[in-house]
Amino acid sequence: MSQPSAPSRANKGGAGRLRERVAAARQRHPFASFLTRRAGTAVLLMLGVTLVTFVLTNLVPGDPAAAALGQRAVEDPAIVAQFRQHYGLDKPLPLQYVTYLGNLLQGDLGESQQSHQAVLTDLRAAVPATIELAGTAIVLSLVIGVAFGVVAALRQDRLTDQVLRVLSLLGVSVPTFWLALLAFYVFFYRLGIAPGSGRLDPGMTAPPDVTGLYTVDAALAGQWPVFWNAVRHLMLPALVLTAYTVGLLTRFTRSAVLEVLGQDYVRAARAKGLPGRTVLTQYVLRAALVPVITVAGLAFGALLSGTVLVESIFAWPGLGAYAYRSATTLDLPAVMGVGLVVGVIYLLVNLAVDVLYGVIDPRVRVS
Amino acid sequence: MSRLRAGSSPATALSLLAVAALTLSACSGGSTSGSAGGGKTLVIDTSFNLKTADPGREFEPTGQIVDKALYQTLLTFKGGDVTKPVPELATYEQSTDGKTLTLKLKAGAKFSDGSAVTADDVVFSLNRVIGLKGNPSFLLDGVSVTKTDATTITLTSKKANPALPFILPNPALGILNSKTVKANGGAATAADKAETYLNAHSAGSGPYTLTSFNTNTQVVLEKNPKYTGSTKATYDKIVIRNVQAPTQKLNVQRGDSQIALDLTGDQVQGLTGGLKVLSGTSSDVVFLLLNQDKKISTTTSNAKFAEAVRKGVDYAGLLTLTGKGSAQAAGVIPSTFLGALPASQATSRDLAGAKAALAASGIKNPSVTLGYPSDLTVDGLSLQTIAERLQAQLKEVGITVNLAPAPTTTELDKYRNGKEEAGLWYWGPDYPDPSDYLVFLPGNLVGLRAGWKAGADPELTAQGDKAATTIGDDARKALYEQIQTKLNASGPFVPLFQPSHYTVTAASVTGVTYNPVWTLDVAAVGTK
Repeated sequence: MSQPSAPSRANKGGAGRLRERVAAARQRHPFASFLTRRAGTAVLLMLGVTLVTFVLTNLVPGDPAAAALGQRAVEDPAIVAQFRQHYGLDKPLPLQYVTYLGNLLQGDLGESQQSHQAVLTDLRAAVPATIELAGTAIVLSLVIGVAFGVVAALRQDRLTDQVLRVLSLLGVSVPTFWLALLAFYVFFYRLGIAPGSGRLDPGMTAPPDVTGLYTVDAALAGQWPVFWNAVRHLMLPALVLTAYTVGLLTRFTRSAVLEVLGQDYVRAARAKGLPGRTVLTQYVLRAALVPVITVAGLAFGALLSGTVLVESIFAWPGLGAYAYRSATTLDLPAVMGVGLVVGVIYLLVNLAVDVLYGVIDPRVRVS
Repeated sequence: MSRLRAGSSPATALSLLAVAALTLSACSGGSTSGSAGGGKTLVIDTSFNLKTADPGREFEPTGQIVDKALYQTLLTFKGGDVTKPVPELATYEQSTDGKTLTLKLKAGAKFSDGSAVTADDVVFSLNRVIGLKGNPSFLLDGVSVTKTDATTITLTSKKANPALPFILPNPALGILNSKTVKANGGAATAADKAETYLNAHSAGSGPYTLTSFNTNTQVVLEKNPKYTGSTKATYDKIVIRNVQAPTQKLNVQRGDSQIALDLTGDQVQGLTGGLKVLSGTSSDVVFLLLNQDKKISTTTSNAKFAEAVRKGVDYAGLLTLTGKGSAQAAGVIPSTFLGALPASQATSRDLAGAKAALAASGIKNPSVTLGYPSDLTVDGLSLQTIAERLQAQLKEVGITVNLAPAPTTTELDKYRNGKEEAGLWYWGPDYPDPSDYLVFLPGNLVGLRAGWKAGADPELTAQGDKAATTIGDDARKALYEQIQTKLNASGPFVPLFQPSHYTVTAASVTGVTYNPVWTLDVAAVGTK
């Protein structure tokens, strides 16, 4: 953070006074100031995301008209001209980009060439499905990964530690698509304890749309059979997604906890007779969680990319499936929409990680 | 450390969470399907190729399944027999010059809102397909639609159009309730705004109505109580889900779905649980293209080189890859269509002949680049496998094939612009009539993709023009056979095979027939 200007210089003009006031405000409301700076960076980053996505998608050698129109229609110049005009593809590229940004400012993400509806409408359907899946997976990963890591550290070099080490290694090394197929085969087909693909059983009607998260919407509407059905459908794909992140978090938590356990202040806490549970939760975990939170933020990224494969195998109609289809058909407005959403998710996750640092570690707040 | 270890008990409890989470899914309900066979819901799994439910705009396989259930057409095909159009909403009569098709509406047909299907609805619906300039518009190229009287419609073509009765059964030419569509922004021009409405509601007289529609997830149909047609629907509700092939297999085996549409030959091996496997030959024809443009390649444009390739391919060997139900393509027209060449006339491998032709070509150690879409599957079959096998087979002749796979969107551009030296592609029928295959002639759509310009073979072009306007099945059959024989002898295409098509159903399901136009008529599906 920049230091307040010296009073003598600040008094020289209005600009100096303004700088001084801003600096004072920053000192009074450091969190608000932090958020403001973050929002500014976010806007620039999103602009970058749109530019990179736009340029990359247009660099791909291929014609969106050929990808979207049928084999006969694409040979009719009138139909192709109408298609290009409808999607603004007849304009020069820079103008297309500027038009896109102009529309974006008004909340218009354009129309998908594949689904023929507003990209916003498509995303409104796909994003909650992925949020529900990835959100459940990251919560499960944190709970299971941290628990496994703590247990492994406390039982260092004993059988539990060895077993957890093998499990976490397996978790990070097994390919997600293979695990998804295997899990579906074993738990759905062989054992019959998991439901089939999709977000709900085929005969079931989706709950009234409020958030798009079926579990939440069903609970809000009091439709408990739908709620339980949604939870059942959610569990297996979410657990498959957690395999990698649990493996990662277990390993990081273990080493972080081991490092803290050797610190003087932990020994001191133990020496003064604090109960083991208090030492673990108040002294050890709190310090060990800082690096773990960083890893969790990164792991969320890996988890989002994992959804592309998991969603395909579990027929989960989320962002991953939508992104794949849009990219393979050169559906530019849809690809841009997906890029923006993923960008926003990353920004929010990073923000959450930074805020959590402050919550866990007072030193961060002070600085 | 002992005190700390004592503190690990909650952590141990937490570690059980993984197990608990999974058992949660097991303990809260036993049924894996709310729709087991014998119920009134039919669940169909397919890998979606779906953009819209609007008949005037759709021309994708999944869209055809959906619209076949929602809309009736003027003519139709019975089951999987596409050699004979039969009346649905209307009877037909074609003039001897093939330019006029007179359709007489049958009495009694009703839309799902109870109103009668009229000649005005027919005129509006067909003119809308033409006016929208959408994917199916080409079906009615050069056709004008007029109402002659309250129950008669006349379709007039500029040139003789013997294929028209084979085109009219296409679900994209389904008849819409014109009042409803117009009230929701519909028009017979590109300014039409009815797609949003038609993706949420249906406006047809078909055996089903649209309950929900999502191009990424699932489509739900409900029985139309006002339906007056002859096929009586068995199921009250049809759920068509977007599911990838490996998952389709497990779903149908487990009873979570009753029909799986996209399983491959490998996947249907060892299916258990009393499932029925219906296999048939697909109407897609996979072929090799050899560019005739000397600027693109002096190798592939050499007639003797093309002969060497034709004789060097081991067609029977390819069929070991394509599985049961697949067949060698004797010509470019698939075996189930009028005018198809008999299997006895298919080219077979002649290695010595191939080597001789190669020597006669004068090209030493020829090397060609084979382009193909690496991410495209034809009836579940990857073109990558086929390309690799062709490379090995032609190596035996002395031809080096360099494989140049690329994503479909990229390769399609090269193919469409006639830039591929050699290409591996397929042609799926737009409608089940041999005239759809005139595209392979010089100067026509696929001919140009092989650098085969107009005028390259005037005799063949003349034969094609004659076939396009000849009336009468026997005369047409003879002409199309001649065209293909000539194509096989000297054309730039090497027809390879028609893949197999599998439909897997639960034992209780009946009435499933593969149709090359709409894949599956869901209304015809019954239960024991």
